[in-house]
Amino acid sequence: MQAAPSVSRDAGPARASARSLIDVRSVSKTYATASGGNVHALNGVDLKIAEGEFVCVVGPSGCGKSTLLRMLAGLDTYDSGTLALDNRPVAGPSGDVGVVFQAANLLPWLTVRENVRLPLRVGGRRASADPRIDDLLAMAGLGDFAARYPYELSGGMQQRAGICRALARDPQILLMDEPFGALDALTRERMNMELQRIWQANRKTIMLITHSISEAIFLGDRVVVMSARPGRVLADLDVPIPRPRSFDTIVTHPGYARLASEIRGLLNAQEGAAHD
Amino acid sequence: MTDTAMRAGASSSGLLEQPEVDAATSIENAASNAMPAPRKPGRAEINGSVIAGIGLVALIALWIMAVRFLRVPPYILPAPEAVLNALWSGIAISPASPKGYYLPLWSTLSNAATGFAIGSGLGLVLGSLMAESRLVEKLLMPYAFALQSLPKVAIAPLVVIWFGFGDGSKVAIAALLAFFPVLINSFTGLRATEPERIDLMRSLSATRFETYRIVKLPNAAPFIFAGLDMAVVYALLGAIVAEFLGAQQGMGVVITQAQAVSDVAGVFAALVILGVLGIALHSSVRRLEHRVVHWAHRGKR
Repeated sequence: MQAAPSVSRDAGPARASARSLIDVRSVSKTYATASGGNVHALNGVDLKIAEGEFVCVVGPSGCGKSTLLRMLAGLDTYDSGTLALDNRPVAGPSGDVGVVFQAANLLPWLTVRENVRLPLRVGGRRASADPRIDDLLAMAGLGDFAARYPYELSGGMQQRAGICRALARDPQILLMDEPFGALDALTRERMNMELQRIWQANRKTIMLITHSISEAIFLGDRVVVMSARPGRVLADLDVPIPRPRSFDTIVTHPGYARLASEIRGLLNAQEGAAHD
Repeated sequence: MTDTAMRAGASSSGLLEQPEVDAATSIENAASNAMPAPRKPGRAEINGSVIAGIGLVALIALWIMAVRFLRVPPYILPAPEAVLNALWSGIAISPASPKGYYLPLWSTLSNAATGFAIGSGLGLVLGSLMAESRLVEKLLMPYAFALQSLPKVAIAPLVVIWFGFGDGSKVAIAALLAFFPVLINSFTGLRATEPERIDLMRSLSATRFETYRIVKLPNAAPFIFAGLDMAVVYALLGAIVAEFLGAQQGMGVVITQAQAVSDVAGVFAALVILGVLGIALHSSVRRLEHRVVHWAHRGKR
């Protein structure tokens, strides 16, 4: 446990169990582009996330944060370093990891319930746990929409269904890749509230990638700031704001403004560097 | 404060906050309840059939006038009444009579349907194999295009030599014509699957066949139906072309027999039947598509 001077650690509920579920050590990645060039995406990334912790990753566009998430999900390979989930090196997609994609990524030909049930009927599984699916849908406020098709839902509801799907296998870890980026500001805040509620209810270990500083501070126990490409960890900041947080009160917390300006300063310096 | 106490505190105030979140949720739910219901066939479609009807009436009027005033001889262009008479004499007759349209129509339709089923089924299977495997694609694609660039009517005599003058050659040519559009469309549609959807299936450790069945095939369905739409008309065409080359029965035979006795009105009447049949087949495929691929027709995402 780190000692954080001058701020209370009460906000980090999961620090007591120091077992790190996600362990990234000096991971680097270079990939070839279609035009024949090489892109140095990640350069020695180190990141540890403890069980039950909620960590948000922010960084300039193209800094490789999505690549990092895809590696953890077993969808991308890495060149060097080690990547472990629950002390097991990542060798491919794992049933213990739920992925929430950008823009919900629901299958339009399946009903909401069938979409959420999808993880239970592929990969050598035989679906049986339907009551759980209905519980999940009810928790996300989608109970009445289970038999609808995605095109009948609003963007926010679609993404809630996407989160339910990621939770269907009851994974230990949830990886979220800019899940609310496509939503309008109000819906986004509402979704942040809901995600906080869901997380407080079941305490998954979450890594969430976002462009939004306010979202990162609102949701995260920690905010990890990444550098411009090739991406590495610039700063790993604790969020000393007690939960449950709400957008109305969070802005008045003294830690909020300080954190936001610190993150903004780091990112602006990076944008400047990236454009040089 | 201990961790547990903190959790308890967090969840109790979480409870207090619950109604607020739920209210937000229900506002959103209400908003989407108010979303317009799936659109019923509206003015646009009615206008469409009105326009088509007006066009048909104008065409027939033009036809009548052309025959009357330009004095076109009946062996070039028969009057609409003569065509109508020929049609009626073929329709208002016992279905078992060899002079009616029923027996030849049944024979042509059943051969076309069998050919359509074989050709489009083969097209879907090979299109899927080609989409799934670069090796199969490299192996088969050149032949598929070579086959397609040959005029099928020119292969028809060969097919008759192989399959004889019976139903076999009709089915084979119908299948040959139905094959290609389904092959290319299913191949294109299966390859057009969004990478995010493939990623989703990969993240769930889905097998290749699960990804094919659950994601790729439904994703390709609009393409496949476009192919089937073409294939169903081509299959009918193929069956009739085969009948021209020699057959005991079928609409192709009706046409050649009428032509042999210079019954131009009879030829026209048979063509009208085939035209109507083509439209009926096309619209039944479209109707099936709207049922199966309903999600692609109402609002994107």
